[in-house]
Amino acid sequence: MWRRSLFVLAALIFLGFGVSIARLAYLQLVQGNMLKQMATEQQLKDTKLNPKRGTIYDCNMKPLAQSATVWTVVLEPNYLEDDESKELVANGLSEILELDKSEILEKTGKKSYYSVLKRKIDTDVKDKVVAFLKEYKIKSGVRLVEDYKRYYPYNDFASAALGFVGTDSQGLSGVENYYNADLKGESGVLLTARNALGTDMPFDYEKMISAKNGNDLVLCIDEVIQHFLERSLDEGIKNNLVQNKAVAIMMDVNDGSILGMAVRGGYDLNKPFELLDEEEQKSIDALPEEERSKAKAEALEKQWRNKAVSDTYMPGSVFKMITTAMGFEENLINENTNFFCSGSIVPFKGARPIKCHKAGGHGAQNFVKAFCNSCNPAFVNLGQIIGSEKFYQYYDAFGFTEKTGIDLPGEAQGIFFSKDGSMSQIDLAVASFGQNFSISPIQMITAAAAVANGGYLVVPHIAKQILDSNGNIVKTFEKKIKRQVISKETSRRICELLKQNAIDGGAKNGYVPGYRIGGKTGTSQKIGQSGPNGMDYISSFCGIVPAENPQYAVLIYYDTPKGPSYYGATVAAPTFAKVMQDALPYLGLECKYTEEEMKNLEVSTPFVVGSTVSQAKNKLINLGFSPTISGNGDSVVAQIPEAGAKMPKGGKIILYTEGTSLESKVKVPKFIDLTPAKVNKEATEAGLNVVIKGTILQGGVAVKQSIPPGTQVNKGTVVTVEFAQKNAEQTSD
Amino acid sequence: MGNIRRKHSKAIRANHKNAEFSAFESDLGALNPIAKKRKLVQNKLKIFSVRSGLDLPLFFITLILLIIGLVMLFSASAPNAYYFKNGDSYYFIKSQLIWAVIGVISMVAVSYVDYRHLRRWAVPILLLSFLLLILVLFMPVRNGVHRWIQLGPLGFQPSEVTKFAIVLSFAHFIALNFQRMGTFKYGVLPYAIILGMTGFLLYLEPHISCLIIVVLLAGGMLYIGGIKLRWFGLVLAAALAAVAYLVLFTDKLTYANGRVQGWLDPFSPNSGVDTWQTRQGLYAIGSGGLFGLGLGQSRQKHLFIPEPYNDFIFSVVCEELGFIRSAIILVLFAMLVWRGIVISMRAKDRFGSLLGTGLIAQIGIQVVLNIFVVTNTMPNTGISLPFFSYGGTSLVMLLTQIGIVLSISRTSKIEKT
Repeated sequence: MWRRSLFVLAALIFLGFGVSIARLAYLQLVQGNMLKQMATEQQLKDTKLNPKRGTIYDCNMKPLAQSATVWTVVLEPNYLEDDESKELVANGLSEILELDKSEILEKTGKKSYYSVLKRKIDTDVKDKVVAFLKEYKIKSGVRLVEDYKRYYPYNDFASAALGFVGTDSQGLSGVENYYNADLKGESGVLLTARNALGTDMPFDYEKMISAKNGNDLVLCIDEVIQHFLERSLDEGIKNNLVQNKAVAIMMDVNDGSILGMAVRGGYDLNKPFELLDEEEQKSIDALPEEERSKAKAEALEKQWRNKAVSDTYMPGSVFKMITTAMGFEENLINENTNFFCSGSIVPFKGARPIKCHKAGGHGAQNFVKAFCNSCNPAFVNLGQIIGSEKFYQYYDAFGFTEKTGIDLPGEAQGIFFSKDGSMSQIDLAVASFGQNFSISPIQMITAAAAVANGGYLVVPHIAKQILDSNGNIVKTFEKKIKRQVISKETSRRICELLKQNAIDGGAKNGYVPGYRIGGKTGTSQKIGQSGPNGMDYISSFCGIVPAENPQYAVLIYYDTPKGPSYYGATVAAPTFAKVMQDALPYLGLECKYTEEEMKNLEVSTPFVVGSTVSQAKNKLINLGFSPTISGNGDSVVAQIPEAGAKMPKGGKIILYTEGTSLESKVKVPKFIDLTPAKVNKEATEAGLNVVIKGTILQGGVAVKQSIPPGTQVNKGTVVTVEFAQKNAEQTSD
Repeated sequence: MGNIRRKHSKAIRANHKNAEFSAFESDLGALNPIAKKRKLVQNKLKIFSVRSGLDLPLFFITLILLIIGLVMLFSASAPNAYYFKNGDSYYFIKSQLIWAVIGVISMVAVSYVDYRHLRRWAVPILLLSFLLLILVLFMPVRNGVHRWIQLGPLGFQPSEVTKFAIVLSFAHFIALNFQRMGTFKYGVLPYAIILGMTGFLLYLEPHISCLIIVVLLAGGMLYIGGIKLRWFGLVLAAALAAVAYLVLFTDKLTYANGRVQGWLDPFSPNSGVDTWQTRQGLYAIGSGGLFGLGLGQSRQKHLFIPEPYNDFIFSVVCEELGFIRSAIILVLFAMLVWRGIVISMRAKDRFGSLLGTGLIAQIGIQVVLNIFVVTNTMPNTGISLPFFSYGGTSLVMLLTQIGIVLSISRTSKIEKT
């Protein structure tokens, strides 16, 4: 019995406890790390910390896109123990989150640990949820996960350039997409010890690998310039019944930075997935269900497309500045080379004649004239002088065969006649005035910038700087020059030509008093895309300023205008002028008026009501106004125009004294179609003041007046009269 | 008492006289009221005395294990108590503490009682065990098994009684028939019948873990009692055949069978059975490493391990205290077993030896099986860890059993330290 007892003892101790301890050693010491890791995974895997996406600023640090904290409400059905608590949660949350109660109830019934109820709720809603959970002592089953939501404070503002982010905070277009890696930051992990319910343990155990917030992006885009571009485009779209969006790009010619890039009509960046075009949405809704999502995707794709970068067009006459550069640089022609236009040209034997836009022809003209006339036959001749080999050499050098490298996604490649650059005679003939090959607007403005800046082809860029979340500069985007394409001298000569063209050539409508601008209009056909009302056109204008030492280039581009005119000179040029009128003073460009311009300069009228007649009179005369006194009182009781009104220097101001009535009314005459001189005469006779807008030089006539003819107004009232080149259609391309 | 003596005397007269019987008779004779009273007075003063009192090593090892067990129970049960008992982290430990106090009082009290009185209760307790095992089959099913009998607020498992009944009755019968243990009629048949009936009833519950413990205990006691080893071989062969039949031709063992699958590959989610508990237990053990995360720092107890205060409490111990301290706890248990068996081997009579060995072996087997389960050395089956796992009746029972061993130690021929 002793022996057997000892045996049992030994068996228990050595076999039982020995194996137990050996097994423990194996699990804790050999497999310990592995098991610990597996345990840690389940204890800590849960809370992903979303990084805050970087803010996008304009060049003046005005936020254009920013992220705000929002919350995702997650239901954890498995931790809702009984029907009562399920009912309670469904009831409370449906009310707070404005969701269907039965839907939530259905979700609580599922066997799962994670079911998203609602994403991106704002903090005030989240607070309500927290209060609700606290009030009913719901400790588990509902989780709030911090997240961020992207806000675009200006909705559709700069939509093409900015782009937007998807629900997973990935940039889907624009700089949001291009600089996604910089903006998005790095997710972190909150290593809160988590119990199996997923709620935090009530004991201290927390380790945080914080999310690294995304870097901020500072753009070259100036919110003010962008606003000017968009406003002017919107007006142009309205006036010219533009069918297929419009583009305006403003670029610093010297460093390639984009000050503004407007594509209208844009879309609301806060609701990128809603179709802007209501009719299109309706037609999609009418489709059978299986086709709907595809149609919607296509429509959205179209809506998001950045026309300035991703679409190509035939540049038309705007391209003539490039052709000219070829001729000048190769020394094949100069300003005085003579060209003859008979109204059409047969580029080679047997070819169909190419017509000039001026039916009778421009006759004999030197190259300056030919340029200002935008004479197609002359440029066909020039093209022939250059030859296809040289033409393609420059075409390539100006960057039309490559992407500009702008920091935006989806840049289009132009389409040339052939891949190897060979051109037929007819190709060369039409290419010389910008037809039958297509390039993107950004390629055009980049080439124009090269023409203007002394011949350097720069890489256009939208981003200026990347800042870390503390505001330190991480990266500055420097000017990048690809190559010099033409000499400084050629550049200067073309700028002079462009300036001339704006003063008395086809680009007159783009002229801005006080600033020496240069520009070229373009009207190009959309080959193969004739609409129901005949051929569709693209009206464009490319301008530079100041012409003698260019700093900025602007490209305006309307796709398919269906208004009274489709010419670049009448559709796009006024938009350019309007943008420049607003933008140039803002940019601080020196304003130098010519004598003629001085005469029409507008001055603000001062406030003289309440002062004595003599005081008021002196003040006005000193400011260059001519006062007329009505009545014979001592002090001024009223003035017309009122203080602050803009009127030309030397304008009439009527001062009313006590005892006179304001009844002396006059009839506004009809100014339309009158020359500036005649308008002035009529206005003076009627006792009205006139403010002149638009082109008054060289053949401008009134096209619009702010007060309709026949209206009874007080003497001295300011009438704004808009002028434009009546014969633009003939002088343009 | 005299009545019992007469009954036994009759039985003895009908049987052959043997040494064990005389010892039994003389023991009872020594227990006349006066002698008993004198002895009690003597011993009362000698709980902590160095001479002829109870065995202090066993007593203190028990207390140390009990205290460690209570601390760890508090640590392991606090999160569950917090989450499910309205934030009352003390819910489990409060109840367990009360039972521990009752248990210790019971242990000390029982140590004063001469264990030989139990011989009279051997048969009634065995019958009670059978009665309860039958009764429990009519109790409501909990977790798919009939295991609990609820008496008002108290729930207890009849299998606790069964284990004790088997040890007690086997000790009694083996001591009674010690000389004839080599025969089939006296050495095998009665035990086979008792064990067979008990085993069948446990199988009906089903309570496989208890069945294993009972079989191991019975086997061990019969072995010590001097049964011929060939019977073991026979039983082993029969058991293997039975298991093979059940596994191959019936689905009776699927309940256990699934556990076997989970045992072989606890980390595979596709093993077809829920290995969550095993897996979480292993995570906890592994997380502990050499030195542990520190007392109270277990993460796995936060609802990952289901009921971490029950069978899997030792995984929390490992996680918090680490390998070294967990091993020390196991060594303490081993020392308890060692001391208990030493006491039993030197007991004054054969019944004491068998009873003590059985009782202490029961604790030892339970500890070892529990650790085997928690470390996934054997398939998961519900075995609680003595002095650690939550459960009032079980704790009182355990401490009372130690009390009986302590009672044996009072007359055991061991050196009282």
